[in-house]
Amino acid sequence: MEVRVKLFGPVAAHANANEITLDVDHPITCGSVLTSLRRTHPDLAPAGARLAINHAFVADTHEVQPSDELALIALVSGG
Amino acid sequence: MIVRVSIVEGAVQKSHQTAPQRPAGGATGASLTFSGIAREMEDDRRLKGLSYEVYQPMAQQQLERIARDIGAKHAIQTLSVVHSQGFVGVGEPSLWIQINSAHRAEALLAMGEFIDALKRDVPIWKSPVFADEPTGD
Repeated sequence: MEVRVKLFGPVAAHANANEITLDVDHPITCGSVLTSLRRTHPDLAPAGARLAINHAFVADTHEVQPSDELALIALVSGG
Repeated sequence: MIVRVSIVEGAVQKSHQTAPQRPAGGATGASLTFSGIAREMEDDRRLKGLSYEVYQPMAQQQLERIARDIGAKHAIQTLSVVHSQGFVGVGEPSLWIQINSAHRAEALLAMGEFIDALKRDVPIWKSPVFADEPTGD
C-alpha cells in the first residue's frame, strides 16, 4: 500500500517537500514504516526521529492503516 | 489539577497570559512563571526574530498530555502554557508557563521537567529569521 508521511522543520527543508510517499507492505507496523523510510530516504530520519500516527506517538508494533495520518517528528525545537 | 494550553499566532501577549484561578482556601504556596524570549543573536548573526512551525492538533494534545503527566507527578494545582506559532520578533516572548502548587519544590521541579519534555516531545520547530532576511510571513 501507499502511505504518505508529513514532514516538518529542517527535515522538510532538506527534502524540499512537506510530504513523501512510501510504497510499503500491508499489513505493516509503525516501526517497519520508519525502517522503510530510513532505507529509501536515509537523510530524512536522523537519530531520534519518530513517527506519529494520527497525531500521537505509538509503539513500534502499532499497525498502520491506509487511512492513517503519518508524520515524521524529528529535530523538534519548541520553546 | 487544572491544565490550560494555548497556541497563539505571533508573540505571546499579556492578554494571553491568563492562568486558571488558584484553589480556594489558600492552598497555593508557590506560583512560578517562566517566559521564553527570542534572543537577538544566534551564531554571531543578528536576528530579526524566530519563526515557529507547529504541527496541529498534535502539538496541543502533546502539551496537554505532558502537563497532566507532570502535574500529577508533582501534585501541581494549575499548569498553564501558551506557545507561539508564526513569527516572534526579538525581545518578544514565544513561550509562557505558569505553575501553581502548594510548595515551591514541586513547582520548580515541574517547570524544569515540563520545559525539557516540551523540547523533546512536542512537534514545534523554530527557525531563525536573520535581520537581513524577510520574515516569510
